[in-house]
Amino acid sequence: MIHVRGLTKHFADLQRGSLVALDRISFDAAPGQIYGLLGPNGAGKTTALRVLSTLLKPTAGTVTVNGFDVTTQSSQVRRQIGFMSANTAVYDRMTAWEMVEYFGRLHGLAAEPLRQRMEHVFDRLQMNEIRDLLGAKMSTGMKQKVSVARAIVHDPPVVILDEATAGLDVLVARALLQTVAELREQGKCVVFSTHIMREVEKLCDRVAIIHRGAMLAEGTLAELRERYQENDLEELFFQLISRHEETRSGQAA
Amino acid sequence: MSWSNVRLTLAREIRDQLRDRRTMFMIVVLPILLYPLLGVAIVQVSQLAEEAPTRVLIVGRASVPDDPPLVEGHRFVEGLFSPPERARLLELAFAPLDQPAAVAGPADPRLQAGLAVQYGQYDAALYFPSDFRKRLDEFHQALRRGATGLEVPRPVFIYTTATEKSQRAFARLVDVWQRWNDRFRRANLAALDLPESIFAPIEPETIDVAEATGHSGAAIWSKVLPVLLLMWALTGAFYPAVDLCAGEKERGTLETLLSSPAERSEIVLGKLLTIMLFSGLTALLNVVSMGTLGWVVLSKLPGFGPVPLAGAAWMAIALVPASALFSALCLGIAAFARSTKEGQYYLMPLLLGTIPLAVLPAVSGMELNLGNSLIPVMGMVLILRAALEGNYAEALLFLPPVAAVTLGACLLAIRWAVAQFNCESVLFRESERLDVRLWLRHLVRDRRPTPTAAAAAWCGIVILLVRFFAGVVMPVPGDFRGFAVTVLATQVALIAGPALLMGFLLTRSPRQTLLLRWPPWLAPLAAAALAVALHPAVKVLQAGVFRLYPLGEEVQGAMRGLDAVLSAAPFWAVAAILALTPAICEELAFRGFILSGFRQGGATWRAIVLSAIFFGLTHSILQQSLVAAAVGVVIGYLAVRTESIVPAMVFHFVHNTLAATAVSVSRYVTDRWPALECLLRPGTEDGQVFRWPAVLAGGLAAVAILAWFHRLPRTSEIAQ
Repeated sequence: MIHVRGLTKHFADLQRGSLVALDRISFDAAPGQIYGLLGPNGAGKTTALRVLSTLLKPTAGTVTVNGFDVTTQSSQVRRQIGFMSANTAVYDRMTAWEMVEYFGRLHGLAAEPLRQRMEHVFDRLQMNEIRDLLGAKMSTGMKQKVSVARAIVHDPPVVILDEATAGLDVLVARALLQTVAELREQGKCVVFSTHIMREVEKLCDRVAIIHRGAMLAEGTLAELRERYQENDLEELFFQLISRHEETRSGQAA
Repeated sequence: MSWSNVRLTLAREIRDQLRDRRTMFMIVVLPILLYPLLGVAIVQVSQLAEEAPTRVLIVGRASVPDDPPLVEGHRFVEGLFSPPERARLLELAFAPLDQPAAVAGPADPRLQAGLAVQYGQYDAALYFPSDFRKRLDEFHQALRRGATGLEVPRPVFIYTTATEKSQRAFARLVDVWQRWNDRFRRANLAALDLPESIFAPIEPETIDVAEATGHSGAAIWSKVLPVLLLMWALTGAFYPAVDLCAGEKERGTLETLLSSPAERSEIVLGKLLTIMLFSGLTALLNVVSMGTLGWVVLSKLPGFGPVPLAGAAWMAIALVPASALFSALCLGIAAFARSTKEGQYYLMPLLLGTIPLAVLPAVSGMELNLGNSLIPVMGMVLILRAALEGNYAEALLFLPPVAAVTLGACLLAIRWAVAQFNCESVLFRESERLDVRLWLRHLVRDRRPTPTAAAAAWCGIVILLVRFFAGVVMPVPGDFRGFAVTVLATQVALIAGPALLMGFLLTRSPRQTLLLRWPPWLAPLAAAALAVALHPAVKVLQAGVFRLYPLGEEVQGAMRGLDAVLSAAPFWAVAAILALTPAICEELAFRGFILSGFRQGGATWRAIVLSAIFFGLTHSILQQSLVAAAVGVVIGYLAVRTESIVPAMVFHFVHNTLAATAVSVSRYVTDRWPALECLLRPGTEDGQVFRWPAVLAGGLAAVAILAWFHRLPRTSEIAQ
């Protein structure tokens, strides 16, 4: 479903010159699978997801989503995905219903099927109470629900969620993770970025640990535990990060 | 292009804007409520100001004339006012000649009165010399005796232009004095038993033909309404553009929108149509409201009529392209900004740049002609002025060029806006702290083989600015030696200097940047031949430009002075200063550093045009700038095709040499070979030395040579 090979992304940076945001990242994500991108802030998770959703063009490497190349077939790729960005942004002067409807229409859904689908999504995400609430008056949890709703309203085969639970309280975060798990059961390919270990342990079928643009480890949780002889994911994560930092320091010296 | 996505985006943005208080304030509250309220307030305040009495000091009351009477009690005589009640508006105070107002200063009562006005004790003063009444009596007696050549005594009006109130008092005094003068004249005529009619002025009969066409008093509208319409169209586009682009970035919703199936061009078009709609509505409602208010308030004044309906229809039609142009420009600029605040700052220069283009034609009496109609915004103001004045034939005549220029500018602006939305460095720019040291370090540390487009633009701007200020400061040379020194200093220090300095400091390969490599051996010869072949066409273009935008008297005088200086100098010296020096210095700057920088983006033709525009702008006379920019495109093409600066320099040298010597050379040639007069016509006033066969033959040859350059394999291809 998603094939990433040697994905590299450079940015011009005033302070550091050319900044390598992603350095030859490769992974595959299959349908009915939740693929986790785990890494600290600034690791390159958002950049990777922005490339997957065609917002950024890769400097090098190839990325295909459901058979379409993100560089040459960007508009076909965007029809295959539902993207939820990390910033929980919603339109201040639109209601929840209007926002989800707008994105459904942009995805080409006709009026009646869209209404039925929206009823289903609003029921499932328990959003009927905020149906007519303007974005400006929504809490973070409400905004997050709207973002999820507009990402899945067109029933895409690929769902990309960037830090979906950031800033949410326990109840809303739990409901949202449940929704993500249901998407897997529906056969969707979900790419999920986070820096919370528990979410990865609970949810992800495969995981890639990213730090400073480099992929430090990739595989199922069981594979990673076996490979690094460490059952505690948090401990494993810190070990990999420390080792990477030491290698970098050695190279710099 | 999916029109469904455009429609969806448009509908969403309209709904969003209609729920925005700022937008609704601009398009509804401001025109419908605020202007009428402001109008009422202005009328009230202006009435207060108009009716406020002013204080006048009369120095030398004893000398005030009694016949005809001027002062009655503590007021001017009421009969000297129209209506008489206005007499109360001049409050009089009196000071005898020997004891004026209590102001410290000189003893002269007239100077004392001046100080009293200067210090604001009185708004104006009327000074009667001590012998005024006596001399007036003598005048009357002499008049009755039938004497001629009599001298009338004169009072002195004292006021200050530093205060508006003093000027108002002065105007009232003048009014009173004119009426008193009328009475004085009539009394004199009566004393001589002469009829008053002998001094009656001949009042011509006037006919206003505009009354028959319904354009009576339209002149004021024709000046005001086009400017208002365009400025409101821009202001109306300003806030929605910032909100729809920078605001959407700031709120973080743009990322989600761009990941939807809608193409960037569809999103841009949807946003553009929204901005256009609100720009148009803002302009329409504001102009209608201000126009109505102005008409209600000012309709009682003479020479002031209603807005002609046909002119109003022209304005409504013009609103569409005007809104489109301003909306696209605002959209492109706002897309570049990271926040609404930043967007407002970026849009301010657009507003400042548009104001003179819109206002100049209205205040300067500029005529609607082909040249002016080709200037964006200005052409539209002029065509609307003509339509409002009822000159429909003139407006229709210049409609095609105005429409073409506006449409062209509009398409360019839209293309630019779409490009902004396709540029990820624009859309996902992170906030960076402004640190000059960091920035300078970045410039040197992250150098590339050739400069960036930004460095090229900066180089062009630096050259333009230093050239401008040097032109203001440098004295005008009076002889060839001074002229040569000025040109050399300007070319070397102000044009080549910045480009070379930036080339060595900001690039890793100055050689590659400045195109310092040998071209194919035939290329310099072909460039020289191209300059010769193209020269007649360039002269035709130059003559056309001079016809469109005639040179002012001052510029013509300066050019004649320059011709005189150059004609006295030897040919080789003129060629060295006017041809060789610019060929080296200007080419290093414009086809070297600047063209290389603009080519970084990969758009070769855009780079050629931009470098040519900067090249044109360095020529201080507008007419020369236009021709130089056109020639710059050809030279830029040669530089790109050969990847070398040499053909560009050769072309430039030959072109400038021909330009400086065409008249004298053509005279020499036709003197020796008279048969060539079928191609050349020396000695013409306009400097146009080529006949049409020469222009056509040269043009065909130029096309052939350019085709040769086009087929030339690039240096990179040769290396491969």
